[in-house]
Amino acid sequence: MIPWIFRLVARVRGLFGQKQADSEFDLETQTHLQLLTEQFIRQGMDPKDAYSAARRQFGNTTLLRQRHRESRTLLFFPNLFMDLRYGLRMLWKSPAFTVIAALTLALGIGATAAVFSLIQGVLLTPPPYQKPQQLMLIQTVRTDGQKMDSPRGWAAQQWMEWNERLESFQGVAGYDWTFNFLIRNDGSQSMQGMEVSKDYLRLMGLKTALGRGFDDSDFGQGHVKSILIGYEFWQRAFGGDPQIIGKTVRISRWESSPVVIGVMEPGVRFLPSPGAAKEPNYDVNATVDLWVPADPNPKYLKEPYWNVVGRLRHGVTPQRGLQELAAITAREGSAEKQFEGFSPQLEPLTDEMNRDGRRILWPLLGASSLVLLIACGNAAALLLVRGLQRQQEYAVRIAMGMGRVGLLRQVLTESLLLAMLGGTSGIGLAIFAVKLFKVIAQHAVPRLDGVTAGWAILGWGLGLAVLAAFFAGAIPALRAFRLNPMEVLKDAGPKGTAGIGERRLLRGVAMLQTSLTLALLVGAGLLIRTMIKIAEVPSGYNTGRILTMSVTEVQSRSNWGPFHRQALERVAAIPGVQYAAFAWGVPLTGNNWPATMDIEGQPPAAKESDKIALPLRAVTPDYFKLMGLALLDGREFRSTDDDKAPDVAIVNQAFTQRFFTNRNSVGRKFWLNGRDKPGVEIVGEIANGRTDDLTHAPSPEIYLPLWQAQAFSKHLVVRTTADPRAVVVAVERELRAVDPTAAIENVKTLEQIRDESLASRTFATHLLTGFSVLGSVLTLVGIYGVISLSVASRRRELAIRSAVGAQRKDIRKLIFGEGFRLIAGGVLGGITLAVVLSQVLRSFLFEVQPSDPATFIVVGTLFIGVGLLACWPPARRAGRVDPLEALRYE
Amino acid sequence: MRRGMFFAMAKGAILSGDRSEVLQGTLDMMILKTLHALGPLHGFGIARRIEQVSEDVLKLNEGTVYTSLLRLQQQGWIESKWGTSENNRKARFYSITRRGRTQLAVETENWERISEVIGRVLRLEAEK
Repeated sequence: MIPWIFRLVARVRGLFGQKQADSEFDLETQTHLQLLTEQFIRQGMDPKDAYSAARRQFGNTTLLRQRHRESRTLLFFPNLFMDLRYGLRMLWKSPAFTVIAALTLALGIGATAAVFSLIQGVLLTPPPYQKPQQLMLIQTVRTDGQKMDSPRGWAAQQWMEWNERLESFQGVAGYDWTFNFLIRNDGSQSMQGMEVSKDYLRLMGLKTALGRGFDDSDFGQGHVKSILIGYEFWQRAFGGDPQIIGKTVRISRWESSPVVIGVMEPGVRFLPSPGAAKEPNYDVNATVDLWVPADPNPKYLKEPYWNVVGRLRHGVTPQRGLQELAAITAREGSAEKQFEGFSPQLEPLTDEMNRDGRRILWPLLGASSLVLLIACGNAAALLLVRGLQRQQEYAVRIAMGMGRVGLLRQVLTESLLLAMLGGTSGIGLAIFAVKLFKVIAQHAVPRLDGVTAGWAILGWGLGLAVLAAFFAGAIPALRAFRLNPMEVLKDAGPKGTAGIGERRLLRGVAMLQTSLTLALLVGAGLLIRTMIKIAEVPSGYNTGRILTMSVTEVQSRSNWGPFHRQALERVAAIPGVQYAAFAWGVPLTGNNWPATMDIEGQPPAAKESDKIALPLRAVTPDYFKLMGLALLDGREFRSTDDDKAPDVAIVNQAFTQRFFTNRNSVGRKFWLNGRDKPGVEIVGEIANGRTDDLTHAPSPEIYLPLWQAQAFSKHLVVRTTADPRAVVVAVERELRAVDPTAAIENVKTLEQIRDESLASRTFATHLLTGFSVLGSVLTLVGIYGVISLSVASRRRELAIRSAVGAQRKDIRKLIFGEGFRLIAGGVLGGITLAVVLSQVLRSFLFEVQPSDPATFIVVGTLFIGVGLLACWPPARRAGRVDPLEALRYE
Repeated sequence: MRRGMFFAMAKGAILSGDRSEVLQGTLDMMILKTLHALGPLHGFGIARRIEQVSEDVLKLNEGTVYTSLLRLQQQGWIESKWGTSENNRKARFYSITRRGRTQLAVETENWERISEVIGRVLRLEAEK
């Protein structure tokens, strides 16, 4: 047994019942003294002397009682309370100092705690699967290492074999994304769901909150008999109906109505389905609305319809799993031509889920930490200056016998108190910030809806406060620790001045702050330049006065044509509507339909992986006019290009340039289902547009007539003569007039869509700009403070200078010189820091290099200018020093 | 405890005249031994016994006995009970525990070894 543990326990116990222990000890002492006195009397001593002799032999009772008390309990606590009380009194006595220092810390702590809670909610909260670190997404890459034009899944035949053969996996399961509508008499409701294979639920470790999961009887060919619904969907669409199990629901395009057999536990989100990522309603970060049992159709075993997830066996590394998997896949590829040329790649599920979040949140955490450090710098400087003012007090305390450790503890207690004060206000700020983020960043940070402004913030805030207390308090505390009381008491200089050593230290702190601020400013500058570049880039199409909404006819396939044609006619007739069109593939929504094809004049693909894969889009005739995409060659679509007419297509300029050397594509053909089937004739060519992403150069595009492609999901696009929002009600009314059950969702202007596509950049820009403004203000205050202190401390020197003939101008120059050296030093350090740090922003930048010299020069010069402005008031004060002061001082 | 003793020796290195200051660790050990030998005793009794045994060589501030007693009690080597002294006074009686006995054995052995070594070293010094 370890003795110190016994003693510690005894001491902690000693914290309680102090009074009784004291009086018992006194009683013991009394008895002892009396017995001793009696003994002395017995030995023949005079009773008068006996008592004092006894006391002499016993020793100093007061000291003894104190010792006894010290070793009986942890005096640390009573002392701490004393220090706390004293610290609070000192803070209370100088409210201005307290408020400024606490507020400074609050800004830093608030910013960092807010970003931390986003990280906690988005990145650190594991998905509700069992042991998610074992789960691996099995992705497809080309064996020859080339980039895939569009994502590809796996054939059922392949993953079913994996499931039987793989030793290093507990199992694999196939899944896919599906989208549908719940048909109800009071309006249809869209649902995003997952089609899952037999082993999926067991493999992922998902449990139902109500009812049961799928068993083998639920799988099979033909109509789907049973479905599971998501907890959130159950709440949203069914009001949490406890009787839901066993009820049938109507789902559009399904011929039979399935039974709800269970409700899934809450918080289950999608696994990525890259092949469906271009669907108009695909949102991988949403919670799953329904699960549909899916058994591979024997007719399509070789089609790469499935996304696959696998669970590694306990203790098996992903490398080993991949080796085994790659070997099996290679064998499958050599046996079957349709599988040839593709290899598996393992991506840990949690990595994949956190990729986007990590990309934006880590840089932001870095930025907020810089703000916190800058704030700590200011707080440290404030504490240090205050320490200087209180040097006399400290010296007297030491002279009176306060231990150095005691002084150190007291100074640290004060900075801790200050930090706690700052931390508490910082937590308030953070809660507000998180709420704000949830509103402004919902398109920028994935799964933000799962973040709550709760206990996590409290924890992070207080933790950061302790950290800040240490950072800000360390220097002042150490100075107090090394204080020489003799020196201080001897030269009792005027208050509010600092020696050369302290000033150098403070200049160092301010210089460091300047560096950190500059790094922030450079980051913000790079992002702002990026936003300007993006705004300048020609998109190739109109974004103004365009309204979009996803419109779906949910009744039946036969109704599809009449509904859309009527809808277009009615919408186009609304006053204020210039053009109306249906489109799958509205710019910047990411919507398109990846397909493989053969193109006239291109050599036929030897392997499956060599096939040309390009995104298809489908639109109605007025779409190009509406978007302002100019027709360069051939003709536009006609309303007669329908399922009875020969298949036609319009391509963009990039397509022509890539596939036809003579720059002429009209009249050429491509085949979607092999060259032996009838092909699609290219009838027109349109100008390029940045349809996928404003920051990507236009890529080859193919447009099909919607009347031939008959897309289920699509947008209604309307160009108006005035504000597009004004027609929303009229458009919805007309659509409902055609079919009251039609689903109308995601009503947005194209400008909104554009903003959403830039959301993570915008969010990063706003936040970084905010952080850098905050950092700049704090640093400028810091610079001002340091130079002011310097002027105050050098008053006598300045007075002498002006007495011996220095002009006001010279003195100002002297002070500005000091300021300039400080700022310029900081700026140089900051630029070095920024060169390193701005690399993390690389993925956000567009046509701007992380080491963009223009940004560095502008930001650096600007900051030196503003910094010198902060030096102006003290410099002016210095210029006004009265030469007579020099004489008065001595 | 072993470390504690060395510390105590270092601290009490200044010996004054012919009456030696009692070293902290040594006092602890003497008290343990006293309780071991004589059974339950109050602080006064312990002080008397030590005085008697040391034959006035050791100078003892009797109050320090109580600091020692508290320390020993916190280690769980002794325990205490309130009782009545020989002339009907309320007094706290201390007695050694089982763990205390074990500790005493360890300490005794330790002490004998160290004092033997020190004795040897000092004799060496004297022969030179």
